Amino acid sequence: MTTARRQPEPPAQAANTDQGARAGVASGLGERQAALVAALVAGAPIPEGFDPRLVEAARRALLRKRAGDVAWHWPLLAASFGARWPQVFAEWADGRPPQGAWQDGLDLARSVPLTGAAAAELASRTPPRRWWHRRRA
Amino acid sequence: MYGVGIGWRPEISGFVAELPGLRFTEVIAESVPATGPLPAQLTALRDRGVAVVPHGVRLSLGGAEPIDPARVRRLATAADRLGAPLVSEHIAFVRAGGLEAGHLLPLPRSREAVDAVVANVTRAQAELPVPLALEPIAALFDWPDDELTEAEFLTEILDRTGALLLLDVANVYANARNRGTDPAELLDALPLDRVAYVHVAGGDEHGGIYHDTHAHAVPEPVLDLVTALCARRRPPALMLERDGAYPPASSLLTELDAIAAASGYPAVT
Repeated sequence: MTTARRQPEPPAQAANTDQGARAGVASGLGERQAALVAALVAGAPIPEGFDPRLVEAARRALLRKRAGDVAWHWPLLAASFGARWPQVFAEWADGRPPQGAWQDGLDLARSVPLTGAAAAELASRTPPRRWWHRRRA
Repeated sequence: MYGVGIGWRPEISGFVAELPGLRFTEVIAESVPATGPLPAQLTALRDRGVAVVPHGVRLSLGGAEPIDPARVRRLATAADRLGAPLVSEHIAFVRAGGLEAGHLLPLPRSREAVDAVVANVTRAQAELPVPLALEPIAALFDWPDDELTEAEFLTEILDRTGALLLLDVANVYANARNRGTDPAELLDALPLDRVAYVHVAGGDEHGGIYHDTHAHAVPEPVLDLVTALCARRRPPALMLERDGAYPPASSLLTELDAIAAASGYPAVT
């Protein structure tokens, strides 16, 4: 579980071209790996030749795993949805590439109306920015 | 590295610290801080002579692109700080095209993929202070254009890199069950003399597919596979890998004793 690893993400096509040029012989593999990851986490179509049922099962398993990881980082957010959490998370995360469990939880928390403990959890992790941070930004 | 161990995780660190016969454990490499204090329970284990193996999950050795040198340095630092006898990672990729998958993904069993893994393993080995063991993963799906059998694919990678094998019998079980093949056949075809240690874990069936979750009890057929493996060639060490939905200590003790019984190693409980 890594937290908040946000890397600038170049458009997939540009990344593939760079990668292909650098890796030479592996360019075909790199493009195909990118297409598979895009299908699993970014809503892209399943590449030709794969068993759609099994890739879909892997996609759902990834969403369940991410829901568990985000709940570990944001326990009160997850608890506020009770048993519906895996489903709530999966609906929100479907087609959104993982940004790390901490960041995913933050983004989800900011996108829904929260009350009570979950709202307090979000507030405690996003303190108002100080003037010296604002100046640097 | 000897006998029966268990993966060290913060949630069960107290349990692991109390195991009287423990000789080795494993820690998720990315969770080992590069600077500042290490978790006290982990250094206590190290200081009493328990081998601690950093287990990486984010290197993406199977990615077509070269591995990130900063990630390799981080793994090397973890090995140094823990005084580890070796480190381990997966034969898998976890990112491509600027996207993180958030999970270990399978490679096509092709010559091209072998070349990519070998290149990355060689890069990693150049920076690591200790030997590297490679773990084949549980895959929910295969690529459409496999040229090699799983044993051929793995053996070629091990032969060309000199890496050790981290054999996960739960992965062997899961793949065989989902593909409808015989797990014992893979054991017969793998270079068992290269096994550094073994993972044992539980899973669950979901929608007709067996998922290697590490969050359920170790099923009987996986323990039978431990016995079958040890009958062929007993590995130096085996460990329970539990990553979530932690059960009461009594259940973990029972599972550790079951692995000891299946392998013929002394109980560590």
